[in-house]
Amino acid sequence: THALSLRILAECKTTKARTCKLHLPHYVVDTPVFMPVGTQGTLKGLVPEQLEELDCKIMLGNTYHLGNRPGHELLKKAGGLHNFMKWNRCLLTDSGGFQMVSLLKLAEITEEGVKFQSPHDDSEMMLTPEMSIQIQNAIGADIIMQLDDVVHSCVTGPRVEEAMYRTIRWLDRCLKAHQRPHDQNIFPIVQGGLYPELRKKCVQELIKREVPGYAIGGLSGGESKDDFWRMVTLSTEYLPKDKPRYLMGVGFAVDLVVCVALGCDMFDCVFPTRTARFGNALVPTGNLSLKNKKYAKDFSPIDDQCPCSTCKQYTRAYLHTIVTNETVSCQLLSVHNVAYQLTLMTGIQQSIVEDRFPQLIQDFFDKQFPDTDYPQWAVDALASVNVNIKKS
Amino acid sequence: MKFVVNSVKSGGCRLGVMSDFGLHGKKIVETPMCMLYTRRGSAPHLTADMLKKIQWLPPMAQMSVTNMIEHHEAIEAYKQGIGKFANMKDYIVYTALHDPATEVMSGQNDTATVGVWSKSGKVRLDVEMFVKVQEAFKPDMYQALSDGDTDLKAGKKRTNKSVTRTLTYLDDILERLPKSQVLKDAAIFGVIEGGNSEFERCRSARETASRDVAGFVIEGFHNQGPQTELFKISDIRDIFKTTLECLPEEKPRLMHGAFPPDQVLEALELGLDVFDSSYPYHVTERGGALVFDFVHIADPEDMDGNKAVQKGWEIDLNDKKYFEDFGPLIEDCSCYTCKNFSRAYINHLRNTSELLGSVLLMIHNFQHYFNYFEAIRRALAEDKYEQLKTHITKQKKYIRLLTLTFILSQTVYVAVQTESGLRQWP
Ligand SMILES: [Zn+2]
Ligand SMILES: [Zn+2]
Repeated sequence: THALSLRILAECKTTKARTCKLHLPHYVVDTPVFMPVGTQGTLKGLVPEQLEELDCKIMLGNTYHLGNRPGHELLKKAGGLHNFMKWNRCLLTDSGGFQMVSLLKLAEITEEGVKFQSPHDDSEMMLTPEMSIQIQNAIGADIIMQLDDVVHSCVTGPRVEEAMYRTIRWLDRCLKAHQRPHDQNIFPIVQGGLYPELRKKCVQELIKREVPGYAIGGLSGGESKDDFWRMVTLSTEYLPKDKPRYLMGVGFAVDLVVCVALGCDMFDCVFPTRTARFGNALVPTGNLSLKNKKYAKDFSPIDDQCPCSTCKQYTRAYLHTIVTNETVSCQLLSVHNVAYQLTLMTGIQQSIVEDRFPQLIQDFFDKQFPDTDYPQWAVDALASVNVNIKKS
Repeated sequence: MKFVVNSVKSGGCRLGVMSDFGLHGKKIVETPMCMLYTRRGSAPHLTADMLKKIQWLPPMAQMSVTNMIEHHEAIEAYKQGIGKFANMKDYIVYTALHDPATEVMSGQNDTATVGVWSKSGKVRLDVEMFVKVQEAFKPDMYQALSDGDTDLKAGKKRTNKSVTRTLTYLDDILERLPKSQVLKDAAIFGVIEGGNSEFERCRSARETASRDVAGFVIEGFHNQGPQTELFKISDIRDIFKTTLECLPEEKPRLMHGAFPPDQVLEALELGLDVFDSSYPYHVTERGGALVFDFVHIADPEDMDGNKAVQKGWEIDLNDKKYFEDFGPLIEDCSCYTCKNFSRAYINHLRNTSELLGSVLLMIHNFQHYFNYFEAIRRALAEDKYEQLKTHITKQKKYIRLLTLTFILSQTVYVAVQTESGLRQWP
């Protein structure tokens, strides 16, 4: 009785990777999936149609920003964010808590909720689990997030345990406050910092609740990559197989490939579109900084294998003349970078179906690291799921 | 390039046709025409895919030497011209010397060179370099090198100098052209200077007309940029008329700058044929949407009952009053923006400084302005120009108090428009 169903199409015979059809209220999403972030109800100057042409099926909105401007009351009047921004496919919203804690200096967490100073006047405000859900119900995304007690991933000691248990208490409040379970799916968030016992305990508590999917949170915040992958793989180990797993805030190509192998289905990250604004294009070998003079007379596309409209029409040389000068360049590079992320993911999906994901991993690393200087954490992480990348 | 004036209509407006362009031989351009304004070769804020969503796009794009001069070596190496380089190969390309939307700094020119500012600093452009750059750009039409550094207040000496220099540049260019295989099919436009001096204007016009040029650019009344929107054609009507009388009828006349709807008509009546679309660009930059009406031209009798005339030229999408307005920019507008998005959404995008706000406004404003030119051509052809003009003038009268906020070199100017036109801001 959730507004979601997950059909596993194929599982990798070597790693924990799987490819699924995720049926959501607005669209069917193929996983593993990368979700671009359209913070304020728009993505880097692109119209929804351009994202559809890229075959993007789900994107993110940020509750904290949307709650500020235009505010959930207006979004409700507009018939939800889908209507407001004219996006007919899937949306996911975060709880707003993470951005509050990271953007606002004076945020303080109490049992009641996140206390903060209004960015407009100095009045004290409170984001409770109930309010977060109320706002997300007004926004109307296909997937919404519970409010969690966010702790920086480098924090240690009893605060981490406190946050983990509070996150579970808040989940229960969120589930109770959720008004639209028939057409919005709420995901709880696995917390527990870098403590395996806490993570495990957290998952065990979460899976007692009747929820449509799970998010893995509290990572990708500056912890060592070694800790990072161990926490990811531990979380997926204990999560039920028949529900989607969303690894929050992860989107570098290398991380995506490794974390798919560790069993994650959904990812989001601002990096691909943020880096576009500074003139960087993502390619299989890493990235091109198009500001660089060496592209002034380079009349080839960013990536001649890329199917995006930017690569079909524009040269590196022309992009070099407009990067960071004309807003058009931001859109052209955003189109390409989103295309890069999505193409990487469809390639992964395909390879899992054909059971050649381990080979894709090897090829991917060969291109990214032509000198075979593979990062050790990635080598270890992949070895833990039986893939030993090596010099060809 | 060939140009034919098919008829001269009421008030002096010309209906004409340009054809036989260098790289785009088969294209035909009807005048009066408004070129597509571009920045570094692209329509502002619009990728080629988004640009295609606009209806009534003109077949000609205006690019400027200043924008792209630092890249001329790359474009030369590319070998196929600036249009194709910028992914605009379907457009007839006209290269202007300066960007009409950016104010040209004064005091940069001398006898042999014109100072143009690029991202990497000042470039001294002499005739040799100018020809080299045009050979790299391979335009269908181009403005000759000119010293247009005068305005209505320029003194006698300065205007005399600008006319003489501009003629010298032109002669130098014409002397080099026979050696240029590349530019042999490109149409060169001579530039008429002379500030506010009738004598110099006529000298410039007569002398330029006696040379082998395909058309004329009228320059030297202002220094380009956003403030050209406040320029009143009526202030120069007499001298403009006299100047154009010195030019042959059968060659097109072009003027750069921002022309609000009523100014377009005034300029047309003086005999101008080609415009640029920097006006809708400026409107977009300040968050405005053009809403002036040229569609519902009512019978003269019930014109007062026509609500459409009460809005003025534009509405301000930064205004809080659109916060909950879920209607389109214009109710029956057929543009991509109006068909898909609401005023409330655009207001939100402006509020949050999101790029998509500029994209959506640019689409609407371009389409509205290009459609206006289409309406003008149709009205002229069907002898309904006077009705159109009355309708536009009527709307101008309703603009009692319109506040325009321009961001000009980090300074905010506020202009107050009254019935008599725009007054200089405090
Ligand atoms: Zn591409
Ligand atoms: Zn419109």
